[in-house]
Amino acid sequence: MDQKLIEFAGLLRENGIRVSLAETLDAVEACQRVGLGDRESVYAALRCTMVKRASDAEAFDRLFAFFFSGLGEIIKQAGQAVQRELELSERELQELIDRLAKLLAERGDELSALARELLSEDSARLEERIREAAKQIRRLFPGEADGAYRFRLRLAEAIDLRALERERAKILQAVDESRHDPLTRARMAHYVERRFNALEDILRRFAAGETGEEARRERNVQGLSEKSFHYMTEEELDRIREAVTRLAQRLKNAASLRRHNSRRGRFDAKKTLRRSLRWGGVPFDLRFDKRKKDKPQIVVLCDVSDSVRSVARFMLQLVYSLQDLYWRVRSFIFVADLAEVTHNFRANDVGRAIDLALNGSVLNVYAHSNFGRAFRIFVENYAGIVNKKTTVVVLGDGRNNYNLPGDQFLGEIRRRAKQVFWFNPEGRATWGFGDSEMERYALQCDVVEECRNLNQLYRVVDRLVAR
Amino acid sequence: MFASIEDVITRFATHGYIASRRLATVVYLATGMKKPVLVEGPAGVGKTELAKVLALAVELPLVRLQCYEGLDEGKALYEWEYAKQLLYTQILKDKIGDVLRDTSTLAGAVERIAREDAVFFSERFILPRPLLKAISSDRPTVLLVDEIDKADQEFEAFLLEVLSDFQVTVPELGTLKANHIPLVVLTSNNARELSDALKRRCLHLYVDFPDRDQELAIIGAKAPEARRELAEEVVSVVQSLRKLDLKKTPGISETLDWIKALTLLNIESLDHELVSETFDAIVKYEGDVRRAQEQLKEYLRGARARRGQGSDRDLLN
Ligand SMILES: Nc1ncnc2c1ncn2[C@@H]1O[C@H](COP(=O)(O)OP(=O)(O)OP(=O)(O)O)[C@@H](O)[C@H]1O
Ligand SMILES: [Mg+2]
Repeated sequence: MDQKLIEFAGLLRENGIRVSLAETLDAVEACQRVGLGDRESVYAALRCTMVKRASDAEAFDRLFAFFFSGLGEIIKQAGQAVQRELELSERELQELIDRLAKLLAERGDELSALARELLSEDSARLEERIREAAKQIRRLFPGEADGAYRFRLRLAEAIDLRALERERAKILQAVDESRHDPLTRARMAHYVERRFNALEDILRRFAAGETGEEARRERNVQGLSEKSFHYMTEEELDRIREAVTRLAQRLKNAASLRRHNSRRGRFDAKKTLRRSLRWGGVPFDLRFDKRKKDKPQIVVLCDVSDSVRSVARFMLQLVYSLQDLYWRVRSFIFVADLAEVTHNFRANDVGRAIDLALNGSVLNVYAHSNFGRAFRIFVENYAGIVNKKTTVVVLGDGRNNYNLPGDQFLGEIRRRAKQVFWFNPEGRATWGFGDSEMERYALQCDVVEECRNLNQLYRVVDRLVAR
Repeated sequence: MFASIEDVITRFATHGYIASRRLATVVYLATGMKKPVLVEGPAGVGKTELAKVLALAVELPLVRLQCYEGLDEGKALYEWEYAKQLLYTQILKDKIGDVLRDTSTLAGAVERIAREDAVFFSERFILPRPLLKAISSDRPTVLLVDEIDKADQEFEAFLLEVLSDFQVTVPELGTLKANHIPLVVLTSNNARELSDALKRRCLHLYVDFPDRDQELAIIGAKAPEARRELAEEVVSVVQSLRKLDLKKTPGISETLDWIKALTLLNIESLDHELVSETFDAIVKYEGDVRRAQEQLKEYLRGARARRGQGSDRDLLN
């Protein structure tokens, strides 16, 4: 069990749920305490020890169902799938099953035990039969329990799937020749087909689970942290959005802590003693040294053109968080034009602010991006807000549509600023190809980083905070 | 403490708390593994009550630390009773004079006083606040840290330290180590994200609004005087209200308040004309009240239709 749990923790981690070693050990202890008999308790035990954020709950549930789906669960799920497909209620389905049984009994056709179990949804017997077969295979062919494919063939052989195939034809014929109305006949036939197919499905999943192959497959699909934003499904994007929110929260906590610690400064004994002379040496007035912290000043230029559409939202969310965090942030978005959105971001909640930025009311987002032009507009109109304390952050892919690169304007910005960071949502390997002017722009920056998946986003944020 | 998960369920039930199996499992594990439980969830789903009932069920005293913005170590841990110290010095003035009698220099006097100051900074003059109470108690306790999300980040860090070592240092007295590790329940409304470090140390329990059956059972336990039919109507309406995007979603306390109010007014069914007067028990904001009224109308219309159908069928049979 321990081994299996450690593997499960690994699976969670690969899906972006952070489980520490201590928590895994807690999970092991919790499982020992509740015992493994009851699935519901095992679930509760793992959930309370391994998942600490409500937003991870859904992913956990999915992975749990997948990882701990015993044979019984697989059989149940297969049954539910058939029921859904036929669009019948539980009662209606039961009726159908009963009528089918009656029909077959009346004809006096001798059915095999396996076919009976399958058609009457006798899950317990079916499970027992498959388990028994698996046990035998392990005993007789120890080497073959390793690969899912061979294991499944052996299973099919052991429960005599071929004989079952012959029965399928016989049963379908019986349904066809019955005096039921056409709709009922069609439903019965469909049901028989689906149930027989389901068995194959059950065997496949069971074999995969027993040999651990499915776990590996799932893992590859789910490695969210390293997956590029561009290829994500809606659901995955949702999780990333949450991650970004969390990230922002963490940023904020870190910042507020720092602020608090530096609010007073250190106790200054010398100054205190000097002051105390006024009151005859009583240290009445405690003195603290005031360390002046230079306030971070950030100017963000965020590309919102079509080529970065899927990423623009995170970028803007990041911008929003930054603005929330440090109050001296000025935010701009650009495509071919450039517009300031600082006020918009300050006045609206994050969702609305981003919608406003992207819906075309601030600037034309359907134009072809022109970084050079945007930089020029910035220099001409806003150069004054950049000084030696300012960090300028550019978020964009540097794809300039073969317009004039205008890197001298970026250079001008850099000369005025403390530093220029550029975060690019495109893979490094493609920089400089096609209309990408990234290599040229990179020369005008202090830091250039790829930012195309969650892990890189984390890194980028770390850089920003550590400045 | 608890013999099994079922034991948790039954003992909680005797104290009027309806525990789901999931919740009971977490409580069972927390008491067995001696780990704090962090309970998160919306307002009014029984987070605070969980800790209170836990204390009753295991028959241990409950120590409650209510968190709020600006709560600091002093208020959570201990304070010196300055007034009492001052009073003692006044009363003992003569005695202090005695102590200082045969010293002639200032330095000598300070030295003398310093030798005695342990008297004033002793446990006699300490005012224990919840955390110290829980730690220094000679019986184990249930420590409820309520609404930790309202406290500042720094306090959370401090709390984390206490929960890791179960000891605190009072500079004048030295380190006080807990005789018994308390059962700790922390609750949070998610006003802000708690630190990972704190979460790692806790078992996590997310409590959501109850489902229909659970809520009926809670009414049965907490408002046994209410009629079953009325309870079913009330639960239907409340559950549908929770699906709306209200400014304040009604919790269990609101359900209980409402049904108690209705019962008190002898209202037997929700189509009574006085029902809308009891609405402030369940929704607090004006906009919410309006939407709740619409929802109620909707429900009654549906109920009437269902009843109509039911009686038709009766006639046919
Ligand atoms: N499972 C339950 N069984 C019995 N009573 C319950 C249950 N859950 C909640 N209650 C009742 O609901 C009321 C609200 O519970 P409680 O005050 O503990 O909520 P809370 O989650 O702490 O809310 P808040 O976040 O506002 O502090 C209490 O009167 C409690 O008795
Ligand atoms: Mg509470």
